[in-house]
Amino acid sequence: METIPGIETEMPDRRETYLHLENDWRSATGKGVRVAIVDSGIEADHPMLQGKVAELVEARADTNKRIVFDKTGAGDSAGHGTACAGIIARIAPDARLHSIKVLGAAGLGDGQAFMAGLEYAIKHRFQVINLSLGTTKPQFFSPLHDLLDRAYQAGCVVVAAANNLPYPSFPSVFSSSLISVVKNAETDPFRFSFNFGDVIELTAPGVNVRTTWLNSGHRTLTGNSFACPHIVGVIALLLEKHPDMTPFQVKSALYAIARENTETLNKRPAS
Amino acid sequence: MTESRDGSLPEKLQRLVETIDVANVLTEPLTRSLSKLLEISAAELDSDEASVLVRDGDEGDLRFLVAIGEVAEQLLNIRVPAGKGIAGFVMSSGQPMVVSDVGEESSFYSEVDKTTGYSTQMILATPLSHGGEVIGVLEYINRRGDPPYEAFTPAEMDRAALFAEAIASLVNAYESAKLFRDMGEKMLTGSSAGDLSDVREWLRGIRDSQEHRAMMELALMVREIASRGEAEQNICKQLMESVLSYSDAKSETGYLSL
Repeated sequence: METIPGIETEMPDRRETYLHLENDWRSATGKGVRVAIVDSGIEADHPMLQGKVAELVEARADTNKRIVFDKTGAGDSAGHGTACAGIIARIAPDARLHSIKVLGAAGLGDGQAFMAGLEYAIKHRFQVINLSLGTTKPQFFSPLHDLLDRAYQAGCVVVAAANNLPYPSFPSVFSSSLISVVKNAETDPFRFSFNFGDVIELTAPGVNVRTTWLNSGHRTLTGNSFACPHIVGVIALLLEKHPDMTPFQVKSALYAIARENTETLNKRPAS
Repeated sequence: MTESRDGSLPEKLQRLVETIDVANVLTEPLTRSLSKLLEISAAELDSDEASVLVRDGDEGDLRFLVAIGEVAEQLLNIRVPAGKGIAGFVMSSGQPMVVSDVGEESSFYSEVDKTTGYSTQMILATPLSHGGEVIGVLEYINRRGDPPYEAFTPAEMDRAALFAEAIASLVNAYESAKLFRDMGEKMLTGSSAGDLSDVREWLRGIRDSQEHRAMMELALMVREIASRGEAEQNICKQLMESVLSYSDAKSETGYLSL
């Protein structure tokens, strides 16, 4: 099997635990959990994000046209990464955020930089990876699939936003090795639910979400890419309480919580 | 057909040059169609301001290809740097999004507003995708009437995505026709073959694209008929007008089926 340098294909040495999912994760803060945000960068000195961003790196093409990552002070070129960071920080305020900036730099092929950013995150074994973006280019189908399988084997939980467009977007259509999310109109981040049997399995708040933006500001935003960080935040809470959870167990836990949420929702009196 | 597809680049260029006049004729109706479709889609979303942005150069910058609304003319002169603003993000990420309160603080859009005198309050932006590539961005700005505006809904984002599919096809056709025109200019100004890498790239694309082949075959057929004389031109024109009016009538109740 072809391997990616730096990414081990063996599962990390973990203590197998029988998962007793208590409600203790609801009071967790994401302490000690390392979250990667592959996006447009993060405005780390935003008042709501100060002290939460552990690292900022940015993609750059070297002289051989390979993409490398340098530490950066470039911040956020579009606001989107800062928006995602704000959502995660609201749910898991003690999670350590790592910004992997792949959007906004001139001269980089979009899909190529995005792939490289994901590979960087897997190599550095981030426990949760937020991918609020995707590509529709068919040439990325196979390499992305391979990369995500390796993330799964390496124990990285990858969460991707679906795009709700009339054509498939990668990697959100890969249902086996990552968690795909579509927006709903809920406002409580813990009240996410699931689409049984659908390719996109989870639905989370993503309509009129008030979150951090450029220039120390805030914006009200709608899109699947804002549902994705809600689930990332919840996973950070779960991993604080159960640090040995595998991606499979995380998916199972999310399913159990979503099912409980749906049952509670069904019991609500009709308004 | 196979022989022509396998011919050398100079042979292909010669044949393409013969169709430049057709391409020029094609560009204008495509722009008009884009404007019309923008108007229809904007009305559907209760908005008067809409625009189509496309890639400008190799660095990922964007330019306004078509715009409707109060400041449409001014927008056509504005460039959006790579990755900047909502449009830049949507272009590079492929993710549609709505921003319901753009105008609160300083931002890329406040800079654009300073130039145009317009007040951007909210944006719905969705990618224009063709053949797996994001080729542009479709944007709707504000609602009709006065603020405060009701935010764009998820259902409206879905509707915008459907319009984006049709608009993307038109943008792609426009870009192809424009390439013919640009190529003609290069040929006329005596550029060397080494400057025609974009033409070669396009030729590679057209070889794989059934849609383009069909469109160009149609265009060449019209040109051939036009060259045979006035009688043929009149018959062709009458036939095409009949097809268009029949199609218009059918589109009231459904698409023309063959």
